Amino acid sequence: MNMLRLIQFAFLLAALLFAARVAEAANLRVPTDATAGAEVTIPTSGSGDATFYLFGPGTAIKRAVKFGEGIRLAGSDLQFSGRYTAVLAGGGNSDSGVFFVAPSKPADIAFLARPSRVPASTRQVISGTAFVFDNNNNLVTQPTAVNFNLGVSQGRPETRTVSTKDGVAYVILDSGRQAGAAQFTASLNDDNVRRVVQVTASDPCNLRMRAQPAKNGILVETDTIRDCAGNPVPDGTIVTFTEVDNTGRSTVDARIKKGIAQAQLPPSQSAQLSVAAGVVVGNEIHWSSH
Amino acid sequence: MMRFMFLVASLLLCAAAFGAEPVVQLNSATVAPREIEDNTEKAVVRDYTRAWQSLAIALSENNSAALANDFVGQAQDELQQRVSAQQKSGLHTRYIDHGHNVQAVFYSQDGSAMQLRDTARLEVQMLDGDKVIHSDQFTQNYLVVMTAGDARWKVRVLQALPAK
Repeated sequence: MNMLRLIQFAFLLAALLFAARVAEAANLRVPTDATAGAEVTIPTSGSGDATFYLFGPGTAIKRAVKFGEGIRLAGSDLQFSGRYTAVLAGGGNSDSGVFFVAPSKPADIAFLARPSRVPASTRQVISGTAFVFDNNNNLVTQPTAVNFNLGVSQGRPETRTVSTKDGVAYVILDSGRQAGAAQFTASLNDDNVRRVVQVTASDPCNLRMRAQPAKNGILVETDTIRDCAGNPVPDGTIVTFTEVDNTGRSTVDARIKKGIAQAQLPPSQSAQLSVAAGVVVGNEIHWSSH
Repeated sequence: MMRFMFLVASLLLCAAAFGAEPVVQLNSATVAPREIEDNTEKAVVRDYTRAWQSLAIALSENNSAALANDFVGQAQDELQQRVSAQQKSGLHTRYIDHGHNVQAVFYSQDGSAMQLRDTARLEVQMLDGDKVIHSDQFTQNYLVVMTAGDARWKVRVLQALPAK
């Protein structure tokens, strides 16, 4: 009976010693709230020499350490947001842990604005996309307010505040009525990124021409060509004059020069004259030389 | 027999780790503000697949040149730094890629940038010289930004996210 108790005691003692040994084994407590660029210390337990490894975005560290001492990781070891794996090995023991480093505060903005040139008074034509980063260029996943502003001088700017989703905010805006260089900015706190969008006159409005006899035909000339908001249509825009008579059709393409377009059409005793620019059709004239 | 099976399993593992294309499935049903055209979708799948292959080669062989065609900006900087740090310490990382379920969440109006959410199933072995010091099999969410350029889509941001 005594012998049996002695054996039971010996087993219990062995189990307790084993448990104590396991408790003494390498133990790594990885951080639960690490932030990019901020230093952390990883506490360990046990005793003796060990090797510490850290694998993460932009990082691979191998360092000789002591079990039981805290392992200090500098901010530069954790500058990138993402998944990190820490491994502590030595003396036949090994422990590992995975932790995540979150981006730090929003600090920088990357801004894509398209297109660089748009016609005035056009709906849903200008797009702006902002990516929000922290000091270490990690995409900030927490919602962040980005202010978008589009305006031309002497015009009323259009302003929108959009919250980022997974680091991205975007707007799609109409172009203003006024032609000119529009300033398109995306701003975040003190960081302000500016792009220029050139707003040009839209399609001509009320395209009108007049005709008069010329030495070798008919001289046709438009009034000053403007869009519906009164912006002069840029020089170089093509205007097409057409003459139809009993001999057939004649067409002349002329470029706008100093705001007007003119051309000389073949002589005719009776013809129908018309003018167009792009999809816009102007007035018609019935020409008669009598 | 057991030895033969072990050999076959090892060969399959090596094939998965080196050269074999990871399976990438892209879902673009909820992308905004612009729909993704069929050809663009195919190109993104092709280029994202290549990017993961390049990443696996770069980190396994400590060869940052493998990253040049598929990564740009922040993602390229991060991976190059990782390769450089591994080289200095004699470390390697072996990726065995078990596939990616990718959801397109943002496609810019001008077609120059795309944001994806990837749920990747990965097996990673970390080696000190030839000795495996740690291996892990896990599912990981990534936030990805790809930008168009040079006739291909390149990964600009590849950021692992904690599980929600």
